[in-house]
Amino acid sequence: MLFNKRELSRISRAKREWQEGPLRQQLERFGMEAPPANTYTPADLGDWDFLEKVGLPGQYPFTSLEHPTHLPERGAAVSAVRFVAGAYAGYGTVEDTRDLWREQGRRGANVAFDLPTQCGYDSDDPIARGEVGKVGIAVDTLRDFDVLYQFLDGMAGLDQTASNFTINAPCNIILAMYIAVAEKRGVDPTRLRGTPQNDILKEFIARGTYIFPPDPSMRMIRDTITYCNKNLPLLNPISICGYHIREAGATAAQTMAFTFSNAIAYVQLGIDAGLDVDDFVRRFTFLNFSGSMDFFLEIARARAARRIWARIMKDRFGAKNPRNWITSGLGSAVEGRYCYTTQRPLNNLARGIIMGVAAALSGGRPSGGVPYDEPLGLGHSYEASQLSLDAARIMRHEAKLGEVIDPLAGSYYVESLTDQVEQETLEIMRRVEEMGGSVEAIKSGWMQREVARSAYQFHREVENGERVIVGLNRFTGDNELNVSTSRLAPHPYDPRKREDAEERQLANLAQVKKERDNRQVQSSLKALHRAAQDKNENLMPYFLDCVKAYATIGEMCNVLRDVFGEWEPVDVL
Amino acid sequence: MDRDRIVRVLIAKPGLDGHDRGAKVLTLGLRDEGMEVIYTGLRQTPEKVVQAAVQEDVDVVGLSCLSGAHNELFPRVVELLRESGKEDSLVLGGGLIPEEDVPRLKEKGISAVFTSGTSIHAIAEYIRQNVAP
Repeated sequence: MLFNKRELSRISRAKREWQEGPLRQQLERFGMEAPPANTYTPADLGDWDFLEKVGLPGQYPFTSLEHPTHLPERGAAVSAVRFVAGAYAGYGTVEDTRDLWREQGRRGANVAFDLPTQCGYDSDDPIARGEVGKVGIAVDTLRDFDVLYQFLDGMAGLDQTASNFTINAPCNIILAMYIAVAEKRGVDPTRLRGTPQNDILKEFIARGTYIFPPDPSMRMIRDTITYCNKNLPLLNPISICGYHIREAGATAAQTMAFTFSNAIAYVQLGIDAGLDVDDFVRRFTFLNFSGSMDFFLEIARARAARRIWARIMKDRFGAKNPRNWITSGLGSAVEGRYCYTTQRPLNNLARGIIMGVAAALSGGRPSGGVPYDEPLGLGHSYEASQLSLDAARIMRHEAKLGEVIDPLAGSYYVESLTDQVEQETLEIMRRVEEMGGSVEAIKSGWMQREVARSAYQFHREVENGERVIVGLNRFTGDNELNVSTSRLAPHPYDPRKREDAEERQLANLAQVKKERDNRQVQSSLKALHRAAQDKNENLMPYFLDCVKAYATIGEMCNVLRDVFGEWEPVDVL
Repeated sequence: MDRDRIVRVLIAKPGLDGHDRGAKVLTLGLRDEGMEVIYTGLRQTPEKVVQAAVQEDVDVVGLSCLSGAHNELFPRVVELLRESGKEDSLVLGGGLIPEEDVPRLKEKGISAVFTSGTSIHAIAEYIRQNVAP
């Protein structure tokens, strides 16, 4: 405890006297009803214990940072072009993306798939019309994956780079393709590195690319965990996401509570499969939790997150290795992309920088935030990427942000706020626990309803002016300048290729179907159908057989739709 | 428009796009503006959207798409509405719609496109002023 009880009493008394005295006098003198700004004192901390609440960086409860100090920077973007080249990307057919990535000198894959692929439909499915190759690459069979990875040919082996796949419901099919592509190139699959997103629960809550109901979906993630544990030791089987839940409208505490509840469900999968928690959780990662413009709240949230998860891993799951108590990959405060505006978009530069400062003040290194033209269209221009990079450099080298880890530790305000966010989060987690956990809370529609309500609350506040968004609902008079910009360098995605990608992919798919051995396809699909009905079977070997026979994603998912059924979303409004 | 009659609205997500924050917010918001609003949920084919519009006998069909498939899907819904005898429906678009696509959508029968930053009240007023009597 920092201050003894007597000292805290004196401070509390002093604050009361100040409120009745000088503060009230100022309010009365200027005709103010309430103070426009608040003040915190040590009394707000009570019997706060530094080692219990914060500790040293890299030590339980990890409030300041997951590690004793910042990790060395590997593969940091050194130019706007490299920045764009490392980003989540992909469009059109695999040829379009392969050629672009070769041109950009990209060394690793951070793959965006189109919606038909993510939702388990082939490019020639009627429901895929208009969607093929739009939000990412169209992948139907192993042939597509093989062509995509030609971007590395002659430059690096598959065991020398890492691949991120933003894929969820059909994750194991994509992993099977990744393994098959490695084998074709003579690369030992046990040396494959990367991270599939594979977080189905957030799809039900916020992102929407689900296929099957929750229970069989969780079975498939169990398959990923156990298969990777045995056969792909360098691959992270999951990236547990708060980002999408926040962007869909959840509050900070809801985002943390729902994500950590989901994480608990995923850890339980491994335990129920008979694995030692210290053995498999090592490879669990988190994706960021998005953010907001509420500067101090986001700093507090980032600190609380580390503490909450550390307690869960240590106390609830009894993990022994401290390495397994950390929120691997989560990072510190980040911007909420939904906070960026299309109106007066250059203001997004300021927004990104504010949150970049928050990142540096919550254990991370400063960041420039996502480039300012994020809401203007798919991908970021090189100019906006350059400005984001330079902003981070200015914060780091000129303002020296990041040279002290968690400099706000001990602040009466920030520590109170951290405790408050933690309490709110734990309270929501208790409610989810009472419902039977995340899966039950999703089946009943409760989580989805909460997100919708928070989203509506946010919008009402914007609409009635309670929540100010500069240039949108305030400071929009005729005297304001609509400072705008147009992209100066052409965006790397060729719009013509994006337009006719569907036509070209249909031709690719037809060709594969003509050339493959359809008997092999049918027999591999039949074996998959049989295995899917047995919960104890790991489906990965069956996916491998199907994938190597050039069965399509749609064909494999239709087999599973037949066995598992499809998720029927609950009406939450 | 007769201010006493209750406007019926269908908010739909055609195609595979799973971003439904705007659609849900608009559903709740238009209800607070006194309209009867049905939200279809995700993954609606144009045929399913029109089926719902007919079944629910709506005055307004609001289409939300953020995946870039709007040029394909929105006109298709208009076409099917006409074939089903609902050519009087007021069809509105929203989501991620580039400026340059709006004129063509309007040509195809989308009355207006409302994207990020639009107020619910403004949309409600537009509906009240433009819905078929």
